[in-house]
Amino acid sequence: MQEVLRLQNLQKSFGSVRALKKASLTLKEGEVVALLGDNGAGKSTLIKAISGVFPIDRGDIYVRGEKVSIRTTREAMDLGIETIHQDTSLAPDLSIARNLFLGREPVNLKWLGVFAPLDRAKLRNAASELLKRVGISKKLDADALVSTLSGGERQSIAISRAMQFAAKVIILDEPTNNLGVEETHGVLRFVKEMREAGHSVLLITHNIHHVFEVADRIIVMRRGEIVAEQTVADTDLLTVESLITGADLSALMKRAQ
Amino acid sequence: MRSPQFSSFVILVVLLVVFGIADSNFLSPLNISNMMAFLPELGIIALGMTLLLTAGEFDLSVGAVFGLAPVVAMLLVQNAGLDIGVALLAGLLLCIAIGAINGVIVTKIGISSFLVTLSMLLIVRGAALYITQGFPLKSWDQPGFFVTLLAGSFNIGAFRFYTSLWWFIGLSLLAVYILRYAKLGNWISAIGSNRNAAVARGVPADAVKIWLFILTSVLAGLAGMISAFRISAASPVAGTGYELEVIAMVVVGGTALTGGRGTILGTVVGALMLRAIRNGIVLVGVPGLAYNIFVGVIILAMLILHALLQKNAARS
Ligand SMILES: Nc1ncnc2c1ncn2[C@@H]1O[C@H](COP(=O)(O)OP(=O)(O)OP(=O)(O)O)[C@@H](O)[C@H]1O
Ligand SMILES: [Mg+2]
Repeated sequence: MQEVLRLQNLQKSFGSVRALKKASLTLKEGEVVALLGDNGAGKSTLIKAISGVFPIDRGDIYVRGEKVSIRTTREAMDLGIETIHQDTSLAPDLSIARNLFLGREPVNLKWLGVFAPLDRAKLRNAASELLKRVGISKKLDADALVSTLSGGERQSIAISRAMQFAAKVIILDEPTNNLGVEETHGVLRFVKEMREAGHSVLLITHNIHHVFEVADRIIVMRRGEIVAEQTVADTDLLTVESLITGADLSALMKRAQ
Repeated sequence: MRSPQFSSFVILVVLLVVFGIADSNFLSPLNISNMMAFLPELGIIALGMTLLLTAGEFDLSVGAVFGLAPVVAMLLVQNAGLDIGVALLAGLLLCIAIGAINGVIVTKIGISSFLVTLSMLLIVRGAALYITQGFPLKSWDQPGFFVTLLAGSFNIGAFRFYTSLWWFIGLSLLAVYILRYAKLGNWISAIGSNRNAAVARGVPADAVKIWLFILTSVLAGLAGMISAFRISAASPVAGTGYELEVIAMVVVGGTALTGGRGTILGTVVGALMLRAIRNGIVLVGVPGLAYNIFVGVIILAMLILHALLQKNAARS
């Protein structure tokens, strides 16, 4: 399998907080990698660096073997990296359709630049089409304002947006947070679909069961560092849990027996 | 009554009818002409302010810029002997600079627009007073291209209208187009609604805000020039207090002070409403010193109405 994304020695500090200390990882084509770690381990910081939310202090990023610099979210999107952030990424006062295409609006008279009129028919149709595909339980109107949706519905909208642009790399930061049972399964199904279509997925989650259901590989972070990397087939729940907390749980269990 | 601009429109009609019944002069051609002469000057600024508020920022320096721009242009004509066209252009360039400074400090240094533009208000008003030594200047009163362009007048029947009304109508249509139909409008609303979400989608939020600060400043300067030509005087204290009047027009029209939701039609209604109120209460004989009590009460009532409608809409 071809390598899609490689991070080498990424470093990022916020003042005196060293949120990332030399983090390296690779992501291959058609692979689902779960990024695990306790609260504050640096997971969100790592993916924000890849998606251009803020620049990294030091380190290199390679996309398909080519060294790139990602300074803005636009650059990340243009490189085929789509991210769904933990802190929800929708504008509540805009309609679902307008949110789905925010930043990539279909327009007429393209030469008018930012003054170009939105192609409203296309906006509506594409949005309805997309909403059908995600299979949200309630039927949603593409013109409804996002502020009228539940947290889970919003999450589903954000995910359908990443789907829409069928990026090479899709990054999901705790996508099943706040979701009901049906929506959670929808997300996991989406992750599998993406893998089958040859996309790579970087999944951040605190739910280890989900990891074993969809991931191929596990990467564990602790205090800004990557401390372990394992294929799912070669590990088990207890081992992963002990890697996350840093305590040797399996040894403890053995002693208790 | 669901949308805010519609409820504002209904209130406007009610006000017009009430004032019309209370005093028959209110709807006379002369009085309507008077209201229409003054309306565009604040209305033009309100258009820029609406876009800026929708993006989540506001500008308190507009009244001061309204005063400074024509003063600078007239000084350049009278003291430096510049051509009137060049002097007006120089005045507008100054407005661009003021807007850009506001925008850059707000977005790049991250100080709230309230504080930045409040300081700018003092700086700009102070500058206007200092360079004129506090005296009003006689403005350009020779007929010519620019006077006709900005403050020419014409009669339709018994009504007398100024060209500034066309400016207001044209700019309003343009602003409606931008906010409702253009890609840029989508960005403006998104930035005001959730800036981080917009940035995460690659929307250049800071650049958009800086341009909106520049636009608002330029519109304030243009309005100041129109006013100076109309009354043939450029006063360093012109436009004092306009910033609050303009913000009142915008929020009375239904634009949210917190950003994300803006309506240009609402602002046009709001501008008409504040003008009608100020004019109407004089005619019905409210004592001069009590004007602001009425204006304040009516604004407050409008805002309460919008808030209640908003709550109702959220519940259903
Ligand atoms: N913008 C910021 N400014 C200052 N410190 C920050 C900032 N963002 C993150 N940090 C700090 O960096 C560290 C890593 O945070 P990060 O959000 O990456 O954790 P996380 O692994 O995503 O945790 P969680 O599972 O709780 O989401 C934390 O100590 C956090 O306080
Ligand atoms: Mg996080």
